[in-house]
Amino acid sequence: MIEVLRAGVCDLVVDPGRPGWGALGVPAGGAADPAALMAANRLAGNDAVAAGLEITLSGPILRFPFGAVVALTGTHFAATRSSGAAVAWNETLVMAAGETLSLDRAMDGCRCWLAVHGGLAVPRVMGSRSTLLPAGFGGHLGRALEVGDVLQCEPGTREVRRLRARPPPLERASPLHVITGPQVDWFDDTGLAAFFAGTFGVDASSDRRGLRLAGSAVTHERADLPSQGVLPGAIQIPPDGRPIILGWDGPVTGGYPVIAGVISADLPKVAQLCPGDAVQFMTTEIAAARGRTRERWDIEALE
Amino acid sequence: MDYSPCMESPEKRPCFSEMVEPGYELAPPAWRWVSERGLLVATGDATLARYEALTSGNFKEIQEMVPADGSLLLVLRRGEPPSADLRAALVAPLPPTSLTAGILHEIEVEYGGAAGPDLPALAALAGMEPRSYISSHAAVEYQVSFLGFQPGFPYLRGLPDQLHAPRRPSPRVRVAAGSVAIGGEYCGIYPAGGPGGWQVIGHTAVVLFDPAREAPALLMPGDRVRFVPR
Repeated sequence: MIEVLRAGVCDLVVDPGRPGWGALGVPAGGAADPAALMAANRLAGNDAVAAGLEITLSGPILRFPFGAVVALTGTHFAATRSSGAAVAWNETLVMAAGETLSLDRAMDGCRCWLAVHGGLAVPRVMGSRSTLLPAGFGGHLGRALEVGDVLQCEPGTREVRRLRARPPPLERASPLHVITGPQVDWFDDTGLAAFFAGTFGVDASSDRRGLRLAGSAVTHERADLPSQGVLPGAIQIPPDGRPIILGWDGPVTGGYPVIAGVISADLPKVAQLCPGDAVQFMTTEIAAARGRTRERWDIEALE
Repeated sequence: MDYSPCMESPEKRPCFSEMVEPGYELAPPAWRWVSERGLLVATGDATLARYEALTSGNFKEIQEMVPADGSLLLVLRRGEPPSADLRAALVAPLPPTSLTAGILHEIEVEYGGAAGPDLPALAALAGMEPRSYISSHAAVEYQVSFLGFQPGFPYLRGLPDQLHAPRRPSPRVRVAAGSVAIGGEYCGIYPAGGPGGWQVIGHTAVVLFDPAREAPALLMPGDRVRFVPR
């Protein structure tokens, strides 16, 4: 059981998501970096697909009245435990009965993931426990955590061992690799140069639906585009020329030209972009993108 | 069958210009990539037929498909290229009668007033009295072209030419759930409340999307709709 003593800016119950409902207008959603959530689950003695928390920018204070085995992955937050023990990232943590965990500001990124032994016990909606905030369903009552919320956990089925994970390197400052998009030929040389040679800043209005970027306007031909299917990482250019990188809870169809798409291997980097961060783009090829397989999290026993 | 890229109407540009994958000799269907997992296939007027054909083909590399306006997005599983069988299925002839006529839904609508604040302006734009605008809107049968924007939001084809209208210059901060609205050549219904740029002409009490229902979306691609003024 977890009691929420203070809510963060956006603490969401997530699992790997609900792919397969795109034709109904429902995005797959789920953890912004599923490999990081899955690693946290393994450290907490869970199946990879158990539900945990995705914590953004500034986190909650959580109390564990009966104690718990937990694990944190993703970006480090300034964090304290009421016991005074250190809050290590990427390893199994044992919280004593009544202990609190305070997650304050993100230190060098945007998001972390918290897994709890057993996994969070929220109902499955359309096959997943992930919150779909724009539609108000899934997760804990279809919304972000609020002070006073109480979350139940499923009973754990596995023996708990103390483990440590080594996360794959995440070069936050390097350009995002993209494949040129279906409407790239709508852009003139000025627009293409603005996009591929420019540096953009992440706008504060960004969320899991999309990252809004500010910088030189990416100019293009104004024409009506029939709605087309899109997916996380697709970069739309609205009439004002400010790119939007579609996020995990973004719409499944869009009517703005798509100049490029961030490759899957770089979406964990997108998950860690904060307001004010600089973003650049670099093209790559389909085969190279496909060859970059799932991020490897090495896990070893502690002690 | 029609493999031309999605030319819906002459004033509109297709989703993407005709192109052929390198090393792939066949003529269209053209496709383009949206990142390395999204294969956007031009399907012209045969979007739903192609969607059904690929669904029944059970291709293991497809995680999901999103039909839209003259194109079909195939989201492939991470790291998996489209198989030769899938490439063949993208150009295979479609059975002429593959698309069954969808279910007909009759949807009661309260037109105008607070339920449809944009109706007077749209009627004026169409050069009609509000009453005849309503009867024109309710006189025809619509077909669900695809769902998008919000879970269960139907893009309905069949709006009479005279009733086509541009989106609002600036979107409303909040459009009520159940709002019946016009966006370009489409009629739509907002399943949930939220920001929206379409012109709202009425309201229905029907629940369009409920994730707890066995079939969460009331209207599915291919279904037909008739509006009944209350």
